[in-house]
Amino acid sequence: MNRSILQSAGLAIGYGRPVLSGIDLDFGPGQFIALLGPNGAGKTTLLRTLSRHIRPLAGEIRLLGQDLNAIAALDLARIVSVCLTDNARPPLLSVGEFVALGRYPHTGFMGRLSARDAEVVGESLDAVAAGGLAGRLVEQLSDGERQKAILARALAQEPRLMLLDEPTAHLDLKHRVEVLGILRALCRAKGLTVLASLHDVDIAAKIADGVLLVGDGRVCGQGLPEAVLTSEKVASLYGFAAADFDGRLGGIEFRGDGRAGKAFVIAGRGTGATLFRLLSKKGWSIETGVFDEGDLDAFVAAALGAKSHVHRPGESADDTLAAALTALSACDMVIDGGGAGDEADALRARAARRGLPLLGLAGARAPTAACASVAELSAAIDRIDRIRGRPQWAA
Amino acid sequence: MPPIAQTRTLPARAAPIVPVSRRAGVFAALLALTAVMMALNLRIGSISYSVDQLLGALLDPAGKSDVAYIVWNIRLPRTIAAALGGAFLAVSGLLLQVYFRNPIVGPFILGISSGSTVMVSLVMLTSIGMGFSGYAPYLNTIASCLGAYGVTALIVAIAARVRGGATLLIIGLMMGYLCGAATSILTALAEKEAIKGFVLWQMGSFSGFKWIEVWIMLVLGGLILGGAYLMSKPLNALLLGEDYAASMGVDIRRFRVSILLLASSLAGLVTAVAGPVAFIGLAVPHMARLSLGTSDNRVLLPGAALAGALIASLCDLIARMWLSPVELPLSAITAFFGAPVVICLLLKRGRPS
Repeated sequence: MNRSILQSAGLAIGYGRPVLSGIDLDFGPGQFIALLGPNGAGKTTLLRTLSRHIRPLAGEIRLLGQDLNAIAALDLARIVSVCLTDNARPPLLSVGEFVALGRYPHTGFMGRLSARDAEVVGESLDAVAAGGLAGRLVEQLSDGERQKAILARALAQEPRLMLLDEPTAHLDLKHRVEVLGILRALCRAKGLTVLASLHDVDIAAKIADGVLLVGDGRVCGQGLPEAVLTSEKVASLYGFAAADFDGRLGGIEFRGDGRAGKAFVIAGRGTGATLFRLLSKKGWSIETGVFDEGDLDAFVAAALGAKSHVHRPGESADDTLAAALTALSACDMVIDGGGAGDEADALRARAARRGLPLLGLAGARAPTAACASVAELSAAIDRIDRIRGRPQWAA
Repeated sequence: MPPIAQTRTLPARAAPIVPVSRRAGVFAALLALTAVMMALNLRIGSISYSVDQLLGALLDPAGKSDVAYIVWNIRLPRTIAAALGGAFLAVSGLLLQVYFRNPIVGPFILGISSGSTVMVSLVMLTSIGMGFSGYAPYLNTIASCLGAYGVTALIVAIAARVRGGATLLIIGLMMGYLCGAATSILTALAEKEAIKGFVLWQMGSFSGFKWIEVWIMLVLGGLILGGAYLMSKPLNALLLGEDYAASMGVDIRRFRVSILLLASSLAGLVTAVAGPVAFIGLAVPHMARLSLGTSDNRVLLPGAALAGALIASLCDLIARMWLSPVELPLSAITAFFGAPVVICLLLKRGRPS
């Protein structure tokens, strides 16, 4: 039996001229697919082609095994529903009436709602946690509330496949997390397939069952986010220069330009991660150590382009420490993450002997200048910056 | 009864804001007021009749009295025409507002009535009509509808290339100017006798309707109103825009043509006889929307038709009686109603949210 919801082969799409070509898709039931790509890559065009708003230039699309073009309009509406970026704000329409419009392909000639239709409308509102909005006017909703109403309308159509164009645009973090969580729960609970264009690679990596990467006129990758969203792929897709996506951390890290100077961070067991980001934002290039391979600090440091002194099994611990001490001596500043251990103590001792500025948070072991909070530490780093003759904000 | 009780049950979750009971009240009030207004239009005039005289004349269409003559040949056709004309213009405006998803459009402001005017002036002012004299009562209607279709097609073609509701207004105004220019050239070239009737017609008036013209309006317009009502389900889907409507199963291409044909036919039907009547098509749908508290076209279409009949009857009464015996141009009265509505809508739209 054919378990596929949506398939395409050799699909080319665009308005006259192809925007994307060679698209081969195969989505199963219950999958949440994130459509990723830079602006103008053809994400909206692809969604509009799959919803039959525009015709493909070449290739074929099969929905539940049938040719998309051969499906009658009302039958199609019972299989696919959409959420568009079009800002639908009909006047004097209650959210209940708005969601009830989604019953269109299920109601009779005059659109009268049966008891079952009304039930589905209520369920759809509840599914997006918008039950309390039913009596409000659509035009008076906030962006987040309206997005929920739009989702509820699409759900009321009782589709097998939902095509969503940037369902989280204009939403704050709370609503963004909420809306995507709702969508994923629907995929799990109802076997609904969702294809949604998203802008946040990091959120997509964490929520989607599959990703579809488009850019440069083709599909650059598809499959499990864990396999597809590699650092190189994301960087080349979006043309990152000063940032990096780390699949293991599942986030984007911004690299410093290194012009502020070089700092050594005594880190390990995650004590350095936030310090790296702080320094990186302030434009420092970073060296760090000494910790074991696989330490959280090692991943964050790598994503930020910092050089780590990592102790690998089978290598001499002394050699690693010696290299770290040499590197520390060449730095302009030392930040103490507060880790315990002989290696950390040796690094601190070297910093003190060399007379390097040694900063750290209170509670860290014997730093020259212990700061009570991260804010104080940040200010202290800025002071060192100024002493070194590179004012932070002045031209 | 408080409406809160019923919004809690599950089927009522899809319910509108305004309770159904209030809607029924609004409809009853509209019906009653329209009936009263039509009765007043029959009774009051340069000669006013008592209710007895009026009833007597109405019950005796073949009567030889002056009352019977005036009621049956002047006042009744005019009263019916005013009510029908108002209803048609209101529904035409409502259809256009749904189609363009823009509350500030109507057949007059988009220049559709002006398109009708040009075509009717061709018939009334030139000898083109001579060749078709056998079709006399229908000729104006046909010409008027053709003119309406022409301008509608142009507006739609241009509207596809521009964004923004205010732009659409300007395009409509330009259409009006272009058609006005063409009409004035035709007027300049026309013979004196033809001009007088034309100028009177152009100012807009429900006077001088012949029974055959009333019947044309009643039959054709009634069919169109029925057709529009049968399309209320896809019209509701169109509230969300064409893309959403298409995704819900509306055959958008065929539907688009149908709406525009119905809307311009209604405007054409009225303009053919009553002349271009301003603002009813624009303002009345809003009055209906606000009083019924919904955008649901299944409710709004009959509501707008009734409200249109009421407002047009009222405007006609004012036009006839305000400075009696001088009869004022109908469009002057309707503009006093409609123009403030447009300004309010523009202010509301421009207000930062």
